[in-house]
Amino acid sequence: MKTVGFRSFALYILLFAFLGGVGWLGFSLVAHGSQWAMQPYNGHIYDEDATVELGEITDRDGVVLAGTQEGRRVYGESETLRRALLHTVGDSAGYISTSVQYTLRAKLTGYNLITGLNDTVLNHLGNRVQLTLDAEACAAAYEALNGHNGAAIFYNYKTGDILCKVSAPTFDPENVPEDIEGNEDYKGVYLDNTLSGAFTPGSIFKLVTAAAAMEKWPDGWSERTYACWGAEEIGGSDITCMGEHGELDLYGALGYSCNLYFAKLANDVGGAALEKKAAEMGFNRTLHFSTIEIAQSEAHLSGADPNQLGWAGIGQYTVLANPYHMMVLMGAIAGEGEYVQPRLTRDTGFFAGLTAGDRQLVSHVEAAALKSMMRSNVENYYGDSLFPGGLNVCAKTGTGEVGETQDPNCWMVGFCDSVENPIAFAVVVEDTNNSIGDAGGVISAVLDVLAE
Amino acid sequence: MNFLQTGVGPAALLAVRAVVPLLALYVSWRCYTSFKSGQRRRDPVVMLVDEASGAEFPVLYWENSIGRAKSCDLCLPDAAVSRDHAVFMRREEGWFICDTGSKGGVAVNGRKVEDRKLVNIGDRITLGNFTLTLRNAAQAPSPKRRIFTSLLREAASPFKLMFVATLCHVLMAFQACFAGEGFNPAALLPEAGVFLIGWGLFAWSMGYMHRVSFEIETVGYLLSGIGVNLLAGFDLNGVKTQLAALLMGVLLFCFLIWFMGDMDRVARFRLPIGIGALCLFVLNLVLGTVTHGAKNWIYIGPLSIQPSEFIKIAFVFVGTSTLDRLQTKKNMTEFLVFTGACVGFLFLMRDLGAALIFFATFLIIAFMRSGSVRTIVLILAAAAFGVFLVLTFMPYVADRFSAWGHVWEDPYDSGIQQTRVMTYMASGGLFGIGLGKGCLKYVFAADSDLAFGLLCEEQGVLLGFLVILTIALFILYARSDVTRSRSTFFSIGACAAAGMLLFQTCLNVFGVTDLLPLTGVTLPFISAGGSSMASVWGLLAFLKASDERTYAARRSGRHGAAAPPPPPARRKSPEATPQPPARRRPVEVPPQPPVRRKPAEAPPQRPRPAAPPAGDMEDIYS
Repeated sequence: MKTVGFRSFALYILLFAFLGGVGWLGFSLVAHGSQWAMQPYNGHIYDEDATVELGEITDRDGVVLAGTQEGRRVYGESETLRRALLHTVGDSAGYISTSVQYTLRAKLTGYNLITGLNDTVLNHLGNRVQLTLDAEACAAAYEALNGHNGAAIFYNYKTGDILCKVSAPTFDPENVPEDIEGNEDYKGVYLDNTLSGAFTPGSIFKLVTAAAAMEKWPDGWSERTYACWGAEEIGGSDITCMGEHGELDLYGALGYSCNLYFAKLANDVGGAALEKKAAEMGFNRTLHFSTIEIAQSEAHLSGADPNQLGWAGIGQYTVLANPYHMMVLMGAIAGEGEYVQPRLTRDTGFFAGLTAGDRQLVSHVEAAALKSMMRSNVENYYGDSLFPGGLNVCAKTGTGEVGETQDPNCWMVGFCDSVENPIAFAVVVEDTNNSIGDAGGVISAVLDVLAE
Repeated sequence: MNFLQTGVGPAALLAVRAVVPLLALYVSWRCYTSFKSGQRRRDPVVMLVDEASGAEFPVLYWENSIGRAKSCDLCLPDAAVSRDHAVFMRREEGWFICDTGSKGGVAVNGRKVEDRKLVNIGDRITLGNFTLTLRNAAQAPSPKRRIFTSLLREAASPFKLMFVATLCHVLMAFQACFAGEGFNPAALLPEAGVFLIGWGLFAWSMGYMHRVSFEIETVGYLLSGIGVNLLAGFDLNGVKTQLAALLMGVLLFCFLIWFMGDMDRVARFRLPIGIGALCLFVLNLVLGTVTHGAKNWIYIGPLSIQPSEFIKIAFVFVGTSTLDRLQTKKNMTEFLVFTGACVGFLFLMRDLGAALIFFATFLIIAFMRSGSVRTIVLILAAAAFGVFLVLTFMPYVADRFSAWGHVWEDPYDSGIQQTRVMTYMASGGLFGIGLGKGCLKYVFAADSDLAFGLLCEEQGVLLGFLVILTIALFILYARSDVTRSRSTFFSIGACAAAGMLLFQTCLNVFGVTDLLPLTGVTLPFISAGGSSMASVWGLLAFLKASDERTYAARRSGRHGAAAPPPPPARRKSPEATPQPPARRRPVEVPPQPPVRRKPAEAPPQRPRPAAPPAGDMEDIYS
């Protein structure tokens, strides 16, 4: 009997394994409970008859962008506002995974381990979110897009406050279209193009090629000239330009946006050096915006032949650019090479600024040179009259060809070199031929609202 | 009904939900402490005295191994004594000496013992060069303080514990009334059923059978009631089955307690039970229906039975053994073959969860029987090899576990059940969303395999954890009875049953939370499933039978009908009543029978006779 009694201690192995498991489960619940609960399929949050009321979301001036009334989620006042802010605020079903309603749902639901998702006083404490956005500017951007798909994102490059963020295609979250799944017009509607989109950049990539040249020939880049006579065979087939620009230096080439100049420059810089510079400037790596992974901007040039490298140098070939990345790159050029981490809420907490990693995208010398060239673009080529007065806009346009069946992506990226209005932006309008008109129009409309 | 909309109603229900785990904790903890404090102390029952040297060997247990080996309960250091020479054990008729294949043999009063022989006080037992005389333990046991005295203190009244458990159920049933729209009093009906079954058992056990302890039943009642009320919020119509199963389980429990009362009967039926179990498996394979990938159901008219659940009980029966049998038949080939057959059948039925439970229980029994770590390691190695072969030649088996550890990578397909459990568990918080208000119920198998998630979501993580910890506590019940039970049969049986319940709980709880692969076993007491509920109560019978008090009271009921049922004061532990030594021992415990003549008939306050008459041990159990 004694021996059997002694052997029964073996049961403690099972008991301790069990207790270990329970301990681990308890620990995981404390550590990850919020993540576990905040799943898009959670019927307590995303349901007609949700258990918990989500808190209010407002813009920087207190304009209500989303709230809960009688158990139903309601959004902004006008349809334009609701459509403009859909991707930022989010939809009721939680399909837009980069939206505030999705990423900050733990805060909005007031989730805590004690009462879970019960609708209690505890859950209503601090479940309100104020965004840095200007709702009016977003509505202006949406209207200026004029039915085109695309993305527009603006931020204060000194404070990091995102001021305007609009993505299209979009829909009204209070009247979700019934044919949203089947209709081609709504293809990719749950994707926020500013954060999760990547588009052929076209000529805005010339800024990267230019920066690569500055790095390669720190003292001689400004004297480097190439000739342009409309079209020229590079690496076996033609690279064409919009005009015949003759002999140009980098300033002139960027002003005219001369394809041949940059195609030749890219070949002289070399694929490896261009790719390296692009990587330094944030291509081929994943940027993070709070918990969101930004879609990568891509410039993979290792296997490119001279012709392909030529096209890559002017932002074609397989090169892709993400609007958020372009915006922070502009913020870096405006801010002596280093950008300020963007933010959408003022209270994301202490750690918000610490997670960004290396934010130096170009050297301050290169930043200054690029800034003066971009200023010259607006001053001498696009015209200051395009924008509200006194903003000292520096910019670069781009036209990314996307194939035979569709008109190109028109870009404009840049910033206001202004102490009162330190705003950097990136705008892309799909399926159009008019960069200055369409992309520039969006920027003008938004700056009109934002400029003090 | 307006208050439901105003927020006052939900807040009140939340408060009610917060009270339930507190009550459950009280019942669970006090049941265990009462169980502990009611146990007898480890004082010698009788003495074996070596007349030549005057050396005394106190007999401490109901079954005692005698031999040269140090591990024996009575160690006789003599070369002529075999390592495991004999077993000296208590049966209904009295003390027996049993030769367990010794070289030198055993003689009582000079006569050689063939199988086993009744030994009376004063009889001389010869083993090797030792001649031992059976004597009563003459001395009054010295007062000894228990560890945890302050913790255990007094035993709670069984009535009070049952009452609190019922209160806990009623609070749940009250919530179930609000599960749908408005107030639905029909949701109280399942609780009425639980109430009748639970208190019926209480009346039978305490009132009619005059048993002195009711802790294990109270815990079973508490857990079953929580399960039934949880299911009432899930599907009010489906609860009938669960209630019927609970009733069947309780009847099975009572039957098994009776059945295990007679050791000889148990020994007689061991083989038929084993063969019956295997036949049931064959029947299952022939008549069984494949449901959700496993062929473990038999449908008889409207009835559906899962035979493997009942075979669990048979498995423990076949596995466990009395000490004399353990010593004579040392190898476990028989049991090994039986286990192999069971696990094999379960593989054929594709019920991997049950196969694992049988295997784990086998390991517990095998170790408790042999004590050989080497055997266990060998068995584990063989099992690992078997698993390797299965995974190599039947890759689809591995596919079933491919989601393990990666459930968040595929939350809409292979990880759907686990992710939902974790999400809704966290959503419930400490106190739950409310009965019937959960979202997990829309997921497949929410009331069976995912019952732990359902419990946590609707009643809160606190109650969920409390339920599984209460199941784990059965290990401590089994452990504390292990040397006090009437035979190693019960010790091993109780440990195997407790281990089986806990292992099944582990598979269920850690399976749905992705710590282990999801195998689809039920959570004891909670999950919907008639066979499971009934078989769990069957396993509880092993724990109950292992407690020597179970049968003590039975005797007192029969022989000592004149004796009044023990007044509550007598349930106090020895330390609680600092009285003369004779009263320091709880009277209702079937203790050192030979030293007290018909103690149950004796008034409880009567001091124990200093020199009890020897030889008469009729009422050892009283």
